[in-house]
Parts: sequence; C-alpha cells; structure tokens
Amino acid sequence: MNAGRRVAVFLAVLGLAAAARAQELSVSLAAGSFRASEEAYRGIYGPSVPFSADLWLKLKGHFGIGAGFAKLSDKGKAVPIGEDGAEYPVKFSRTSIPVIVFYQFDLKAVDIRLGAGLCAHRYEETWETVDLGFKGNKVSPRFFAAATVALLSRLSLFGSATYDTIPTGAGSPLVTDVNLGGLQFLGGISFRIF
Amino acid sequence: MKNAKVFISVLLMCGLLFLSSFPASRGPLSLIRIPKAADFPARLLSRLQIDVRQELESCLLALVDREDIALLRRNGVRFSILARNAAKRDILVVRTDSPDALAALRSAGKAIAVEPETAVFWTETGSPSEAVPAGLPRKVLSSRTVRVDLRPAATASRPAPQAVAQDPLIDMIVDLVSTSNLSSGVQSLQDFQTRYASTSNCEAAGQYIYNAFSGLGLDDVRFAPFTFSGSYSSRNVVAEKTGETYPGDIVIICAHYDSTSPSASRLTLAPGADDNASGTAAVIEAARILALYPLDFTIRFIAFSAEEWGLYGSRAYAAAASLAGDRIVGVINLDMIAYANAMPEDLQVIVNAASGWLADRFLDAASSYGPLGATKTVNASFVYSDHAPFWDGGYPALLAIEDDPLNNPYYHKTTDTLDKLNLEFFTSATRASVGLLAELAQPLREGYPMTPVGLAAKPVVYSALFSALKAVRVTWSAQADAAGYNVYRTNSSHLDYVKINDSPVVGTMYTDADVRPDLPYYYVVTAVGAAGLESNRSREAVAAPDVSPATAALRTLSLPALGGGR
Repeated sequence: MNAGRRVAVFLAVLGLAAAARAQELSVSLAAGSFRASEEAYRGIYGPSVPFSADLWLKLKGHFGIGAGFAKLSDKGKAVPIGEDGAEYPVKFSRTSIPVIVFYQFDLKAVDIRLGAGLCAHRYEETWETVDLGFKGNKVSPRFFAAATVALLSRLSLFGSATYDTIPTGAGSPLVTDVNLGGLQFLGGISFRIF
Repeated sequence: MKNAKVFISVLLMCGLLFLSSFPASRGPLSLIRIPKAADFPARLLSRLQIDVRQELESCLLALVDREDIALLRRNGVRFSILARNAAKRDILVVRTDSPDALAALRSAGKAIAVEPETAVFWTETGSPSEAVPAGLPRKVLSSRTVRVDLRPAATASRPAPQAVAQDPLIDMIVDLVSTSNLSSGVQSLQDFQTRYASTSNCEAAGQYIYNAFSGLGLDDVRFAPFTFSGSYSSRNVVAEKTGETYPGDIVIICAHYDSTSPSASRLTLAPGADDNASGTAAVIEAARILALYPLDFTIRFIAFSAEEWGLYGSRAYAAAASLAGDRIVGVINLDMIAYANAMPEDLQVIVNAASGWLADRFLDAASSYGPLGATKTVNASFVYSDHAPFWDGGYPALLAIEDDPLNNPYYHKTTDTLDKLNLEFFTSATRASVGLLAELAQPLREGYPMTPVGLAAKPVVYSALFSALKAVRVTWSAQADAAGYNVYRTNSSHLDYVKINDSPVVGTMYTDADVRPDLPYYYVVTAVGAAGLESNRSREAVAAPDVSPATAALRTLSLPALGGGR
C-alpha cells in the first residue's frame, strides 16, 4: 500500500469514528504564500503561491479533525554550477493531502485552531527543454494554526499558517538531501455546512 | 681542569650546530624498476613526486634517493633496485630482442634486463654509447622527469583506417612530392661518406641540410647545438614555417641525419641511405612543398643529430621544448622509410597509448594519399628513435618505419646505399607523411572564411532540485567574415569529429547538453561564410564534465549570489 492510500484509509476510519460525535462541519478555500526552508528551492523557484481546499470536522468538546487537498506549482530556471551560459527552464509541482487533529479555542467572533498531523505529498520536477525529471512521494509531519472570523451566519474569513518538514532523501549536485518543507500562510473563506 | 671541560663542551656544541646547518643528505640516487601491474600506482607516483625517467610498456624506470625509497615502501609500491649511484652515469635503455643481444651487451658493460626485449646498460668508465655493440638500438634515459601516461592502452585503438574523403588541396600538395628530389637528397647525404655524430662529416651534413632549408623561403632556419656523451657536441637543424592562425601551435616532422656502421668503419664510412638519409630527404622535401602554402599551424622541420648514440639530439630538443612549454600538436618522426624487401610493403607506425590518434590519422593519410598500407603498433617500449624523447615530454609522437622487426640486411652497414632502396615505397611513404602533415597544419584556402580562434570548452552543470544536466559550454571569438559557425565534437582527441549543430550557430557560444560525465569531449569550430564555404577547423579544446560532490557542496553555499528563480 502506498503512502497516499494509507493516508486515505486512515482518513476514512478517522472520519467514520468522528462522524458520530460531529458537532460542526465546514469547508475552507484558501490561497497564499509558501516560503521554502530549502535555500536551493528559493534560488530556483522563488516564492510560491499554493492553493488549498479543506474540510473541518469539529467534534464535541474542543477537538476536531481536518483534511484536505493542496496544490503548489512553480516555474524557474536550473542553476548553473560553473559559468553561466544557457537557460534551462524547469517546473515543479507538489500535491498534498493533509490530515490534522486540532484543538479549537472558541472566542467571541473568532475561533482559533492549533493542531498537528500527517501530510502525504506527491511531487514532480520536470525540465521543459530536455528529457530530465524526477517524481517522488513522501508522508511527513505538519504543524498547523488557523483562525476564522465570522462574517455572516455560515460564512467566515479563514487564515492559516502551516509548517511542514519534508526531507526527501533525494538531491542533485546543488543540494544533497532536498527538504521540500517550509512555512505557508493562506487566506480565504470558510463555509459552515452544519 | 674544570675550565677545560667547559671549553670542550662549548666546542662540541658549536661543532654540532655547524654540522646541523648543512641540509640533510638524502643519499645517492638509485635507478629502480617499478612494474606496471594491474594495481599500477601511477597517480600515487605522481603525488609522491617520484622522478620517473623512462616509461616502458610494462614498467617504469625512476631515479630515487633514500627518502623516496622509504616513501615507496611505506605506500606499498613494489620495485626493484637496478643500480646505485645512478646519477653519476649515462644510463641507456637498449633493445635486446634475442639472448645473443643481451649476452653481447653484458660482455660490453653492466646490463640488466627490465623487460623481455629491453635492458638497461651502463659502463663504469667511458661512454656507454660507444660501448654498446653495433646494431643494438639504444636510448639514453631522459634528462628530466617524464610524463607518465595515465590513460588505459585501450583508448588508443581504432579498428581500421577510415574511408576519408580526399581533400583536393591536400591531394595537390602531395602530388608535389618528387621521387627524383628524394633520390637526390639521399644521394647527397650518402656522399658525405659518414654522418656518424662527432665526425666533421656529420657537421658538414648538418650544414648541407641547413643550406637546403635556407633556400626554401621558410620563416626561420637555425642550428640548435648540444653536447652529448661527455665531451662531444653536434647540431640539430631546425627550420620553421610559421602558422598564420595559431603560430604557437607546432606540428613537427623530423628525422635524424646522423648515421652509423660497425665500429671499425663508422668514423669513415657509414652511408646510412635508408637509416636515415631517407627520413631526412623526406623532411627536406616536405619543407620544400609546404613552404609554398600559408598555414594555420606552425610546422617545424627538424633534422636531429646523435640519434645513433642514444637519441641525444632529440632529447636535448624535446627537453628544451617541454621546459619552454611549447604547444606541440604532434610529431611525425621518419626513420628508415625507403627499404622494401617485397612489394607491396607496409609502413609500420609505432606510438604509445597517448599518441594513438596520431597513428590513426597517419593510417588514414596513408590510405588516402600514399596510397600505402600502414600498420599501427602501440608499444611504449619502442623508444629507439627520435619520437621517444617527445613521449617523455608528454607530447603525441609517432615513428614511421619500414619494418619492425627490421629486415633490411644493410642496416647499420657500409652497404646501406641508395641502390638498395625502393623508390616507389619511399615516395608513397613520403606522400603519406606530407599528407598528414598538411592535414594537421591546415593550408589556408583563398575565398574561404578565416579559421576561428579563441576556442574554449568549459564543463558546466545546470542543476535543479532533483536532477542535473551536465553540459559543455563552447565559446570562441567572433569573426567578421563568418555568417555562422559549425561545432564538431569527438571523444578521441583529433579523431573522427562529428558536427553537433543542426544549422550554423549564430553567435559565439554553443551549449552541448548531450554529454556523459565519464567521458572527455574534444571540440573544434569552423566558420561558415555567406556563400556557404566552410573554414578550416580551429584548435581543439577539451572538456571533461565532472562536478565532484565537494564542488557542488561549495557551490550550494554560494547559491544566493547566483540569483536564479523567476
């Protein structure tokens, strides 16, 4: 069983177990900025704009579960080691499926969530003009903080900060063990289903 | 009494201090033999700065002191000591291709076999060159540390001569080779009766060659004097046709003009028609023809002396060239190219592993311009002619010789005269040599673009996060008469270039991304004119794409300075 399938099974079991105690279900859509902790990543691709869609299930009490889908796509140029000469465009994409357990502080108009969990990543780097590329999968920890501010009865503003560490064990002459993690800030809206 | 003790102690200490002010003696130099086994530590020897004076096919001969010996033992290098106090002696490498030859050598002095057909030889007194029995080829050890070839021998082979398209200009050039000129050249040299180095006749023959060169309109003709075997002296004769595009890149065609015969007669009669008036006449003929053409690269036409004594003339020349950092593209050494016991006769082309390309090019030229059959032999132990000191200096060099083993019954005899030579074979061998020489020096063609200059090839690695593209960036200088450029590439220096650009490159840079990290790549560039005519090839540039992890790590640290990203 691959990492993605393991996470899906884990998510399904957790969802079924939690549904019985579900108190609130909401969905959020957000976009923002990702700052990679890997210097080489920033050198090639610069700052990135990730997108994310998540489902939040708050249980009785203060705990809850979140799961979702996130996508990050980037374009950049291969870095010449030696003297510069030609340009070789490269692109990178990362798809992530996080499963988070969080604790929610219910304040007046603001809810704050702090949590941690696991995230399954599938990533791919391709060269646009030569036949080179790399694909990989990794499950890694995720740390998470979010806040929602109520706008209307079901609609809220949503903001989150997540930190991932994704050591891949793979690399190139530029960096021996690429860590695809970093700090991500997202902003968007959240819609409460019940 | 007490004062006397103090005085003696002070005196002793002063004495010790005085002695310690002299540098520590490293002891006398010994000649050692280091076998080139499978675990041959060539790089280690270079790192230990071992003074290798001769490379042979199966071993190295090196001069070492006590400290070197300890160093070699500490590093587990196998060796055997051949001679102590070796620095004080002229030591020769002698070809002993039969037990009789080795026995004869042993009766003349101290001889130790270092390979099945090779011995080192010296005498306690007198000149070892004069003591070596007549007929045994010999070479004196290099006067400087030789450059050991680290390449595997396999890199030097190519299955058969390529079917090379004949170049009409080179065809025209080789058609100028005149059999009658070659014949009269041999006759003129034979007429000196003897050209045994150390005789006045040999010096007169040198003057004859000097005069012959001087009448050809070359750019420079000079004597290069040297001393040998103690108190003797002689002169190499060096003529030059300076290249117009690459004057500092030199192609050499050479032959020895001295001769020998048995010791009883050599001072008065050693006609040496085949050995080596033939090679010398061919060099003069090559000079006569190529003096007429403007060339990209410089050609030096050299007649060496004292070859028969142990290659002293070429040793002096090659050592000086190496010391001066001369850029020698290749050396064509002609020694005995006119005797054929039966026709058709093949010419033997002998090279070391590093000079393999030159033999392959000779075989192509022989096939195209001789026409002549030629056979390539890679044998680093064949050091008995003037190509060998160039090998010592790390230069590509070949020996063209009629047979190995020799079957000329007049070799080193008073009967080695013009009437024994085969002029048809002699002419074909000269045509092949002139053809290769012209190909290497590249005659300029009217109406064609100038040959590109300023070529450089640098390995560069373009790296993303998970993969890297290893490439070579080729650059050259812009030329006013070029509409574009073609880039050619090969993995074997000077051999089998293949064009790698689809259409002429506009600009002065080409990135070759189709490279493997474990191979060297050699590039040349041509200029293409507006009418589509293509120039001669530029000088060759080499790149071996390889980025060590250490380099990569260092580079990663300086990444912000590189910019990149969007």
